[in-house]
Amino acid sequence: MKIIRYLSVLTLILVLFMTLMPVASAHRVYIKEQIKEVQIWTYYGGGTPMVDADVEIYSIKDGQEELYLEGMTDQDGMFYFEPKLGVSQYRTIVSATGHSTDKKIDLAGGIQQEEAELPLFMRMFVGFGYLAGLAGIGMLFAARKIKREHSNN
Amino acid sequence: MHISDGVLSPMVIAVGFGITLVLLVITLWWNRNDGNVAEQIPKLSVMTGAFFVASLIHIPVPPTSVHLILNGLMGVVLGLLAYPAIFIGLILQALLFQHGGITTIGINSVIMGIPALISYGIFKVGYRKGIPPAIIGAISGGFAIFLAVIFLATALITTGEEFIGIAKLVTISHIPIIIIEAVITGSVVAFLVKVKPELLPIDVEVTKDEDN
Repeated sequence: MKIIRYLSVLTLILVLFMTLMPVASAHRVYIKEQIKEVQIWTYYGGGTPMVDADVEIYSIKDGQEELYLEGMTDQDGMFYFEPKLGVSQYRTIVSATGHSTDKKIDLAGGIQQEEAELPLFMRMFVGFGYLAGLAGIGMLFAARKIKREHSNN
Repeated sequence: MHISDGVLSPMVIAVGFGITLVLLVITLWWNRNDGNVAEQIPKLSVMTGAFFVASLIHIPVPPTSVHLILNGLMGVVLGLLAYPAIFIGLILQALLFQHGGITTIGINSVIMGIPALISYGIFKVGYRKGIPPAIIGAISGGFAIFLAVIFLATALITTGEEFIGIAKLVTISHIPIIIIEAVITGSVVAFLVKVKPELLPIDVEVTKDEDN
């Protein structure tokens, strides 16, 4: 019985000590930010929106791609989706009647800038340049043939 | 009209390249017998250049966007050489404009090139039968687009699309292109017959007879 009395006194002292402790929280709290909605716009070269195009969104986590959701673009070529919590990389594939394109989206990296490319008229000139080159090679062979025929005669 | 990368199965892509390779060999080999290759090169380059930039002329037809193709004109002016010319044009379009894809150059050549060869045949036969060049040119130009749509729809069946549905959708959106290309091909042919008939793959003698 004596032991019980000692124990209760000890407990009482402990409880009294606890009241002296400053206020503290035992739970660590977290904040996780989340982008609520991703908006994508799809359009054909020339600027016409891709209406009713099939959209597939793949989530990329640890290098693994997994089909997250499928849908269709609206009348303005827009498609909206809510990202998965904790997944910031997505691959979007948009296709309509044989046209298809894909783009990797990284929400952590913000909105990506368009990749720099040559202006359209420069690319046209490049194409004409290749054609002129090909024509030149063709002409060269034709000229050789004509020369051979002449020397044979 | 250009199918992009990642739409078709590897099997269809392989078949497309196979057909294209065979047709390239046949058309080039056949043309060797005609001689005067040097005379054809400038015409070939100009037409390939026109085909290459024609796809930049877009016409918005909701819910899609269509562009000029000019495969009928290629067939009528270049004859069998239209196939290699379209093949080269498509390579440049895929590399420089990202129209279509690298893996689909073969099947896209089939979709646009075979109708070009067929419209050349129609033009030749129609011309021999005495149909006015402008009219038979316009028919060939428009029909080449329609045929290309049918080829496209056929290629897309393999991806699980329904043939009638897709053919209808693509044909309706291409009606403006069919009309525009019929007019372009008709007027180019009418112009060439008057100014320089030897540029057309037809017997020049027939034209001369008509002139006399």
